Amino acid sequence: MYNSNKTKELNTYDAIVIGSGISGGWAAMELCKKGFKTLLLERGRNVEHIVDYPTANLNPWDFKYGLNNTLKDREADPVQSNTYNPSTKHFFVSDAEHPYIQEQPFDWVRGYQVGGRSLVWGRQCYRMSDLDFEANLKDGIAVDWPIRYKDLAPWYSYVESFIGVSGQKENLAHLPDGEFLPAMELNYIEKHLGDSIKKNEHNRLLTIARVANLTRGWDHRGPCQNRNLCERGCPFGGYFSSNSSTIPAAVATGNLTLRPFSIVTEILYDEQRQMAKGVRVIDTLSNEVYEFYSKILFINASTIATASLLLNSVSSRFPNGFGNDSEQVGHNLMDHHSSAGAYGVHDQFKDYYYKGRRPCGFLIPRYRNLKDGENLNFKRGYNIQGHGERMEWQDLSYNLNGFGKDFKKQLTTPGDWTVWMAGWGECLPYFENQITLDKIQKDKWGLPLVKIDFSFAENENKMMIDIQQTSAEMLEGAGFKDVEMFNYKKSGGSTVHEMGTARMGHDPRTSVLNKFNQMHNAKNVFITDGSAMTSSSCQNPSLTYMALTARACEFAYQQLKNGKL
Amino acid sequence: MNRRSYFKRILVLGALGGASFSIFKWKELTRQVDPVLLWSKKDLVAELSEIIIPETDTPGAKSANVADYIIKVLINCMDIKKQNKFCSGLELVESHSMRNYGKSFLNCSDQEKQTVFEYIANHSGFSYRILNRINKKIFGESFFITLKDLTIEGYCMSKPGATQGLAYDYIPGNFEACIKLKPNQKSWATK
Repeated sequence: MYNSNKTKELNTYDAIVIGSGISGGWAAMELCKKGFKTLLLERGRNVEHIVDYPTANLNPWDFKYGLNNTLKDREADPVQSNTYNPSTKHFFVSDAEHPYIQEQPFDWVRGYQVGGRSLVWGRQCYRMSDLDFEANLKDGIAVDWPIRYKDLAPWYSYVESFIGVSGQKENLAHLPDGEFLPAMELNYIEKHLGDSIKKNEHNRLLTIARVANLTRGWDHRGPCQNRNLCERGCPFGGYFSSNSSTIPAAVATGNLTLRPFSIVTEILYDEQRQMAKGVRVIDTLSNEVYEFYSKILFINASTIATASLLLNSVSSRFPNGFGNDSEQVGHNLMDHHSSAGAYGVHDQFKDYYYKGRRPCGFLIPRYRNLKDGENLNFKRGYNIQGHGERMEWQDLSYNLNGFGKDFKKQLTTPGDWTVWMAGWGECLPYFENQITLDKIQKDKWGLPLVKIDFSFAENENKMMIDIQQTSAEMLEGAGFKDVEMFNYKKSGGSTVHEMGTARMGHDPRTSVLNKFNQMHNAKNVFITDGSAMTSSSCQNPSLTYMALTARACEFAYQQLKNGKL
Repeated sequence: MNRRSYFKRILVLGALGGASFSIFKWKELTRQVDPVLLWSKKDLVAELSEIIIPETDTPGAKSANVADYIIKVLINCMDIKKQNKFCSGLELVESHSMRNYGKSFLNCSDQEKQTVFEYIANHSGFSYRILNRINKKIFGESFFITLKDLTIEGYCMSKPGATQGLAYDYIPGNFEACIKLKPNQKSWATK
């Protein structure tokens, strides 16, 4: 099967990056900019910025069944169809084509294409702080993060300055400010809620979300047109994705080779050098197998896929999976929970409305367990994300009685103000939450199926109750009526923040990566996607993945330059 | 309408009446609904949707071709149970008009149609109350709720509904966070 037409020399690069999503795009760009001939491998098809956004300019009436998924789609893609709709379906995999095993319900949301899920991400960008980096050590949970905020702070700035993040500085120690473009604006009800929180709760505040949507032109992109159709791909380049930003920048250096339709099946180990020598790849168009070689390797396949690639790469040196002396690979899987919150209706301020569709909501930064001794029945915390709006037909459909002329009038007139808000909560790293490879079942390329065994535990469940209560209190405090607490009880994975399966740590016996995301057991391998996370904090994680990636690239560059790799 | 087309229409209605019997005899909710038979009820669905969203100074459900949307979505996207409940609902409309007025719904006067419709609405099992989208799952089961939801969705997402019934802002450009509501201002068609 090995294609002997390609000589080893032709298949050799300075660097290989596996995966072209939000962190892989960054790795490719940084390495190319440092002068490395870089091969970027992507298992899915190519998606070119703007050209391959077929639904981006469609009107609601251009969709045959509105935004309803068909029965056929729901049957073929029971997981992805919870996330996609006909306007975004093409950026998600087919579950039927890409099966996995759920030991417990777990939504593994995937986008196999160039750009990965950076095309459809939520765009929220929050820095982690020492409250997060010190948490495991203080609590005696899992292992200590091998870095602190000061290690990452300049890299956060570096990434923010490149991708463009709009936001408001708030001067909070636990949610550090970043390099922000002008903030988007809160609407009337959100300001009202914010004022009330400021008055009633001394340690809480409400601020506009910090998002990778451009409030002014940036790096030849944007500004955001306030269409709120980001997940279709933006023809204005109004938000950051690998496709709109890092990959074109990598291409511009002349050092990038992008190879879509390439599933990496194995990391190849060089016994003599005790490092990785390259990767084995299946070309999904020809089914041919190739090998590619490089001095350094960045694995950015996304948390679950990265861990499964390591576990599938066995050799006499690594019988339990590549770089897995610690036996932590695949374990400590985390995902934020975002099921619990509250909703309320306000019967005042009916003179006010808004124009345009702001592509984000508000944020109430974490306010629980900021200090020791708060006596709560759970550890860590959550932030609240939500949005205020006036009821429009989508809500009035459920809330309006009757039919006929008066009904139509009410249906087409702005209704009461409402606020929906929910807690994005930290999930502790549990060894039992894990992915493994099935010993028998294989996919159509002969690769073992991934088996996911994940559940939230007592700490997360107790936190959810607290989220409901504090959310409802804040709404009631601001004069909302009919405040309803909710808990959707969504499965793990549904926040699409899976992380932790190849964690960073000080000690090679208990962690997979060191403080530069370098593999303890194979020094030329770097992992900078979600799998590197030692704890989950409650911040949306993509910004941290990008910062870790840029930092690791610089480290790898220095190591190579100094002859250490 | 000339005489000939009038008679033609009566004949068609007669044929539809026959067809409707074969849809509606299905009591089991898991039986596959025949799309052809459901499509044959398009005029009835259109009439019902127009009662929910009538033509006023802006287009109504019929002008927005909402019946087409309802049937397409129902057949392709809604589970079989919901499809069957919808069919039994149409049967109820027909049998209720027949019982009370001795004619099919489409032949009823506007007042009679209104009365039949009110009966259906009042017997849809439960009434609305202020609730949010979270509880969507509880709703959407009964015929009336399905009809109403799909009528609203089909209308508000149609070109006439979105651009004339509501306010459609294709590319807003900027975001104005707090503006004074103008008299008779319509709400936005999209979020």
